[in-house]
Amino acid sequence: MSATRTASMSPLICWSCRERALGPHFCSNCGKIQQLPRDVDYFAFFGLPRKLWIEGAELEKKFLQLSWQLHPDNFVHATEREKDLSLERSSQLNDAYRTLREPVSRVEYLLAIEGARKEGEQKQQAPPELLEEVFGLNESLDELREAKAGGGDLSALKTRLEAAENNFQEKLAEVDEQLQGIAREWDAALDNNVENVARNKLMARMNDLLNRRSYIRNLVRNVAAELTG
Amino acid sequence: MRRIVGIDLGTTNSLVAYFDPQTGAAKCIPGPYGETLCPSVVSLDPDGSIIVGEPARRRLLTQPERTIYSVKRLMGRGPADVQNELRLFPFRIDSASQNVIRVKLGSKLFTPPEISAFILRELKNWAEAYFAEPVDRAVVTVPAYFNDAQRQATKDAGRIAGLEVLRLVNEPTAAALAYGLHEKRRGKVAVYDLGGGTFDISILKLVSTSEGDIYQVLSTNGDTHLGGDDIDNLLQALFHEKILQQHQVDFSPRAELAQELRTALIRVKHELSEKDAAALRFPLPNGAMFVHEFTRGALEALICPIVDRTMGPVKQALADAQLKPGDLDEVVLVGGATRTPLVRRTVQEYFNRPPHTELNPDEVVALGAAVQADILERGVKNMLLLDVTPLSLGIETYGGAVAKIIPRNSTIPASAQELYTTGVDNQTGIDIHVLQGEREMARDCRSLARFTLKVPPAPAGLPRIEVKFLIDANGILQVSARDVRSSEQHSLEVQPSYGLSDSEVERMLEESIEYAEQDFAERQLTEARTEAEAILSATAKALSAEQVAGLALEEKRRIDAAVATLKEAAAGDDYKLIRSRIDALNQATTHLAEVVMNFASRRY
Repeated sequence: MSATRTASMSPLICWSCRERALGPHFCSNCGKIQQLPRDVDYFAFFGLPRKLWIEGAELEKKFLQLSWQLHPDNFVHATEREKDLSLERSSQLNDAYRTLREPVSRVEYLLAIEGARKEGEQKQQAPPELLEEVFGLNESLDELREAKAGGGDLSALKTRLEAAENNFQEKLAEVDEQLQGIAREWDAALDNNVENVARNKLMARMNDLLNRRSYIRNLVRNVAAELTG
Repeated sequence: MRRIVGIDLGTTNSLVAYFDPQTGAAKCIPGPYGETLCPSVVSLDPDGSIIVGEPARRRLLTQPERTIYSVKRLMGRGPADVQNELRLFPFRIDSASQNVIRVKLGSKLFTPPEISAFILRELKNWAEAYFAEPVDRAVVTVPAYFNDAQRQATKDAGRIAGLEVLRLVNEPTAAALAYGLHEKRRGKVAVYDLGGGTFDISILKLVSTSEGDIYQVLSTNGDTHLGGDDIDNLLQALFHEKILQQHQVDFSPRAELAQELRTALIRVKHELSEKDAAALRFPLPNGAMFVHEFTRGALEALICPIVDRTMGPVKQALADAQLKPGDLDEVVLVGGATRTPLVRRTVQEYFNRPPHTELNPDEVVALGAAVQADILERGVKNMLLLDVTPLSLGIETYGGAVAKIIPRNSTIPASAQELYTTGVDNQTGIDIHVLQGEREMARDCRSLARFTLKVPPAPAGLPRIEVKFLIDANGILQVSARDVRSSEQHSLEVQPSYGLSDSEVERMLEESIEYAEQDFAERQLTEARTEAEAILSATAKALSAEQVAGLALEEKRRIDAAVATLKEAAAGDDYKLIRSRIDALNQATTHLAEVVMNFASRRY
């Protein structure tokens, strides 16, 4: 599927009145709720292009508007078919909103539907430039566990770990900033209709950043768990 | 279209309410004693009939082994889950209980949904008497932090009671609806709900749109085993000990005494919400009087750890909503236990603003359920509720770890798809284990269901089956599967880890109708007997009057015979027979009644 394709919901035949239904969620002819065509992704659900900059307030407004129309509370007296469709459509709406609302899950989702999301070959492997720091961190963590078990003094170790945690938190923020930078490049590339090779390169870079991010995040989480536990 | 009622199925008390479109307000429906609160207590009478509410509560003292309270604590839980409860609650659980607990009342066994169904049926009766028409659809509230099994158990209870549960609504959300209707509110609202047995905190955002008001839940947290009950348990344990030491009276083998002490302590607790000091005076079986003077300060020192336990969930809910205490515009208190001054103070200090308490904290959840019932009855007109799932949904992966597929606080309905394939040639099944909870390992999460996805024999990796996990607007999981290649629905049988099967619920529904018929027959019998007594005494009085001295002997004999047969029938328990003999006596005394009446009118 082409990435430049902006969302237009493919026309389909209404299950109820058998007319060509042009409305995105409801039949333009009889007003009945419609099943979502399988090729409609979360961006298209909101009528958005596959761009990474999304205005939060605008997305929320669309989400609330569609909630009014699709929520199962609207279909208590409707036919079983319509009830099922409402359940399906409103869950898709909520899934789409949840995914697109956060910048990171948005990038992850974009790469997934473009077929460009590849998790690290070995998830547990540290990015080479972080190796040294991760090694030091793991040592401190081991020491803390031993000290906990042996009842030794924890305060110095804890201070050291907290410093390490802050250091990795900063790295996380850096990654997020880099992601934002590539996201802007991606949107510009779409606007300028650049060729596939360039776009694929951007996606590969985003994919690397996502893997790096998930590695650091796990690290921070482990340290935090060890510090509070 | 028949009316939809709102029901608060509480740990301590339950209520039923309806929305009056004429006044635009929700209202609680009173029971036969004029009270809107129905104690959530069920008792099995030795004659086999079921007693619910206030009369059952009184039996806690006289027949504790046939009576049960706080059954909500057992909903959707397995025998292993409730061992802690058993130390504190006089639940008599059948040792042969499998994945669903069975509780003994007298010599009979009931599941928690069946017992809850008795309470729901009582409230259904209240509503039917009030409207003088059948009521068979309801919105029922549940603690926001209830998991899938607890929600399913509540829905089952509704079905067993003959009620179609159109929606389960989270209690704090219902309270927010009631408050929103009471007085238009905007912005971010925290609802702190400390009930008899459960604690919930929900953070909502109230938005006005051109279509109407949206109540969007941002996050929720809680503890389904934290509430006023815990305060009572603490006090009870403390005073058992005190009385044992000072008077050498041991309450543990005496269920009646223990229950009486608990009741007395609850009274003192309530008094101390109003006054600064109160006294417990408790007569002991050895003739001595146990007296203890309480101050509010001393009580607060005791219960402080319990109130503190609510703050963990409060902080987590705020963090999940990405808010700080000062970001909230309103704080609402719900649940009887929030009458405790210490609770109010703690909440006020944390959020740095006085909490709302305008609506009766016992009624507000039922009122909110009635508002949601109205929304469902008339369709979304000017109010929409967007709630969330309180716990993350996950599936077990290699090594017993859990992969989260729907994170907690996702707006519901919510769904996730997982693609499955086979690992070896001709593999015919793929085992799937669904869990709920926040922990990393499956053993630390709540098991919802296990099932085997059946696959036709094929080379490894060829079958492609998409399993869809969908949490509906009630917070209940639905699982479906689709063969990706053929696009055909894939059949699936999911047995919940803790819950009743459809056929069990069906059977319980039938049994409960029998109980309902039994109850009905009993009421008819009592009424027929009362009427028989009235006509018998009226007849006797008429016969003894002076003006009937000239009554024909034949007529007198007929009346005597009718009296004798009615007396005989009234001694039995066939209400239809009693009714027909009342009619016979009525007929036999028609002339007599006329004579007496004429005489009376001549005289005055």
